[in-house]
Amino acid sequence: MVDGGNIVTKFNKGALLAVTSAVVLGGIAYGSVGVVGAFAQAKPVHHTVVKHQVKHPVVKRGAGPAVKLQETGSTLLWPLFQLWVPVYKHVAPKVDITTAGTGSGVGISQASDGVVQIGASDAYMSNQKLKETPGMLNIPLAISAQQIMYKIPGISKNVHLKLTGTVIADIYLGKIRYWNAPQIRNLNKGVKLPHWAIVPIHRTDGSGDTFLFTQFMTDTNSAWSNSVQYGTSVSWPAVQGALGANGNQGVVQTAEHTPGSIAYVGISWLNKGLQGGLGEAQLQNKAGRFLLPTPATVAAAANAQIKATPKDERISLIYGPGVNSYPIINYEYAIVKNKQANANVANAVKNLLLWAINPKGGNTASFMNQVHFLPLPASIAPLSRNQIEQIHG
Amino acid sequence: MINGTGSAIQAPLGDNGVRRPLRKARAIGAWSIAFAALALVVVVVIDILISVVGKGAQGLSWKVLTTQTSGISGGLENAILGTLMLILVSTIIAGPIGILGGVFMALFANSAVANVLRYITDILSGVPSIVIGYFGYTVMVVQWGWGFSMLAAGISLAVLTLPYIIRTTESSLRQVPKSYMEGALALGMTSTTALRTVLIRPALPGILTGLLLAVSIGMGETAPLIYTAGWSNFNPTFQMVKNPIGYLTYVVWTYLNEPYASAHQLAYTAAFLLILIVLILHILVRLLQRKPALQ
Amino acid sequence: MKRHQLTSKMFRLATGIAAGSPLLILIVLSFVLFRDAMPAFRYQGISFFTGIIWNMGNMYANNPIVKNGVQAAPGAAFGILPFIVGTIGSSIIALIIGVPIALMTAFALVYKVPPSLAKIVSPVIELLAGIPSVIYGLWGMTVVAPWVEYGLGPWLSHLGHMVPFLAAPVGTGLGLLTSGLVLAVMIIPIITSTARDLLKQVPTLPVEGALALGMTSFESVLHVAWPWAKRGIIGAVILGWGRALGETMAVLMVSGDAANYLPANLYSPISSMAAAIASMLDSALTDFSGLSVHALALIAVTLLLITMLTNLLARLLVQFGGRRVGVEV
Repeated sequence: MVDGGNIVTKFNKGALLAVTSAVVLGGIAYGSVGVVGAFAQAKPVHHTVVKHQVKHPVVKRGAGPAVKLQETGSTLLWPLFQLWVPVYKHVAPKVDITTAGTGSGVGISQASDGVVQIGASDAYMSNQKLKETPGMLNIPLAISAQQIMYKIPGISKNVHLKLTGTVIADIYLGKIRYWNAPQIRNLNKGVKLPHWAIVPIHRTDGSGDTFLFTQFMTDTNSAWSNSVQYGTSVSWPAVQGALGANGNQGVVQTAEHTPGSIAYVGISWLNKGLQGGLGEAQLQNKAGRFLLPTPATVAAAANAQIKATPKDERISLIYGPGVNSYPIINYEYAIVKNKQANANVANAVKNLLLWAINPKGGNTASFMNQVHFLPLPASIAPLSRNQIEQIHG
Repeated sequence: MINGTGSAIQAPLGDNGVRRPLRKARAIGAWSIAFAALALVVVVVIDILISVVGKGAQGLSWKVLTTQTSGISGGLENAILGTLMLILVSTIIAGPIGILGGVFMALFANSAVANVLRYITDILSGVPSIVIGYFGYTVMVVQWGWGFSMLAAGISLAVLTLPYIIRTTESSLRQVPKSYMEGALALGMTSTTALRTVLIRPALPGILTGLLLAVSIGMGETAPLIYTAGWSNFNPTFQMVKNPIGYLTYVVWTYLNEPYASAHQLAYTAAFLLILIVLILHILVRLLQRKPALQ
Repeated sequence: MKRHQLTSKMFRLATGIAAGSPLLILIVLSFVLFRDAMPAFRYQGISFFTGIIWNMGNMYANNPIVKNGVQAAPGAAFGILPFIVGTIGSSIIALIIGVPIALMTAFALVYKVPPSLAKIVSPVIELLAGIPSVIYGLWGMTVVAPWVEYGLGPWLSHLGHMVPFLAAPVGTGLGLLTSGLVLAVMIIPIITSTARDLLKQVPTLPVEGALALGMTSFESVLHVAWPWAKRGIIGAVILGWGRALGETMAVLMVSGDAANYLPANLYSPISSMAAAIASMLDSALTDFSGLSVHALALIAVTLLLITMLTNLLARLLVQFGGRRVGVEV
């Protein structure tokens, strides 16, 4: 490594000194600007996402000391948090919120481990996990849905293929390998399907979308319910060429770049998927009808099942009854420990969640429509509010 | 010493001259392959630089350097400062320990002990970084309750970089001629004084090189940080525990996955900044090395 | 003078402790890993290394099952053979591609490239060693994978009737071959710079003697310089291999993240042990029985043992015969 001693030393000494001092001085100058800025807390967060203004109820404006909150988990809920955070900055200027789309599994585990304050999840916690970490609350913030998307060469994205749960399960089980398989053709008379290998894409992170999708498979396909079953992460059947992807964002990205792909995608990523040239399937519900997830079909499915919602709000809404019910819908949960580090943090979490489920706050149509969510039904909101009130310092 | 020589001399002697043109052609062929290999490596480097630097430089602006990340857009100030803070913490921990350890191995340990220690240090440097990340999460973050924090991440990086600092310190001290030490001891100095007054000066460039390489290794790590540093959209503060912190490699790894152009741009810009810092560190190392250790 | 000696002693002690710290760290690390890994080994036994199915079990089941005294989610099975195959397969591909290129590059740099040019090329190669692995991953995803999908893969698959392992389908470019290619680029600088330093240390006299005896320049390298530097270079190759075995992020980004099956051809999606730990730790943490995390710890232990062995091997090769040829890590 050390080469040669007969090089002009003086030049190098000078150059070394110059480069070093430039780097150090630059670093110090830059660092001090940043760190001082952080202490001063004076910087407003830049609005790049939301252009519109929402009238929000003033929740004790600027009350309480500065608090930093960490939200992580569901990539389905994440785009909504992205919309909420800049607006909430006006409601509670002293609360700094970092959001991350890491998958519901992370949301559940890190909120349970106490390393984040708010875990976001499309799946409720299991009985056993709840037993292991008592005091965890599963608080619905909104209603969401999931669609099946695909990219098939030669098929326009405006063609909404008809698919049933059991056919999709057979694809993920590796029993149906080509897009022109008879099972798919029979459902889609008149569509010219190519002989193209199907590439099933699944989530590799612990995911609420996986939870919803595998529940749908379990409800509709007996081979599936006897082997894979459901969960936030399952043991995927061995299908040669099947791909794993990280987060909804990764699934959309991978599906877009993989001809022949099929994927399950959270509804908040619908626009992104359509822009990327993915098609959206009509799914068969329990009553036998093929439906797209629209506000009407999602609301129909929700209305048919809200009465069954228990006090702790942990319930599956998959494959519910009703002629107009879309089969894959769910509550979007905030997973929160009832005991927070201190009263300040507890209050900040409480206020944020109360604002989030408020029909004039986070549950406003202008937010919901952008991610294709539905607001919490009027009969469910009080249950969530009761749970939020249990959070203490 | 050179046990290859004997067989080498015998090998081509027999038919020397007869098949000379064939052998010459073979040599030319072999060297062409060698040059092709060299060219390939250079092309790959250039390709990496073009595909990253080209796109990354487009997104570079003062605003990106001075704005904090917000979701999938904004700037990288928090990540840059976070990376610098993490390096600072890990160097504060690993630097002194590493240099002291290197001094022991070069000056105080007998050769058997030094050999064993060297082997152990090499093993530590071979431990996959994700294993350290696992350890960091289960022990420091959860069991000790530090949460995602600068301290947990800094210690993880320190463990990763420590072996490099020890080894470079040792080898640069060993490169100082023995006569220096012997002379100093003959003058009645203790080995400690000898180290301070005589040995440290010629060894210093090598030790600094080791530190800089350690910094560049630590800066480029991702796997051990995902589960120890977490991520934060806000600039780091001096709170050591229960305070997640952002860093540049996270942006490259996560934002590339997002189907948003703005996120991709941030990922490329972060990658560009990482390469830029590595480049600066390497230039510093070069300048340090060129300075002759001894005159 | 007395106080002087005391501080001197204290200083010695401090350096001794510092030098022992890697040992301490390794002991603590291994202790924690072994402790965490034990339940998984008790549950799964030796089939942990030979099984193909990785299943964390039904985490929404109401009752855990108990096997060999260990609680688990129903259906839990932990087989890591696909990860082992992925790890070893991708690193071997990296060696097959990377080592010849690295060595030829080193030969060219030492013997043929004019010093003025070598002064530019050498630092460039060293820069390659300093590039963070996520950037290799980024490059692999955006450049190498599409090239494998549309260029190299279809071309190689024509050889499929001779070597079935090369046959189509090529898939998406994310998989075994791409992982191997990216890893090859990552280990080239390690091997090249060590080989270059070693070759430079070869005494010039025998090499020139060989030339004088009528050898061609390449023969003199092959028969004189190579035997001299061989052991050190092999040591460097093994160190590079160790790096490829433990690489996490770059593989995670280009491997396609497969589980539950062995690669059917050169382009199949795979996963490696390190990548599996990184990508599954979060979902494992949701396992109420905690066994999934133990299973990941067992992967970590396996990986740790493999890296220790490769390191030992590299060291023995470098030191055997008592030749003092240092390998810069």
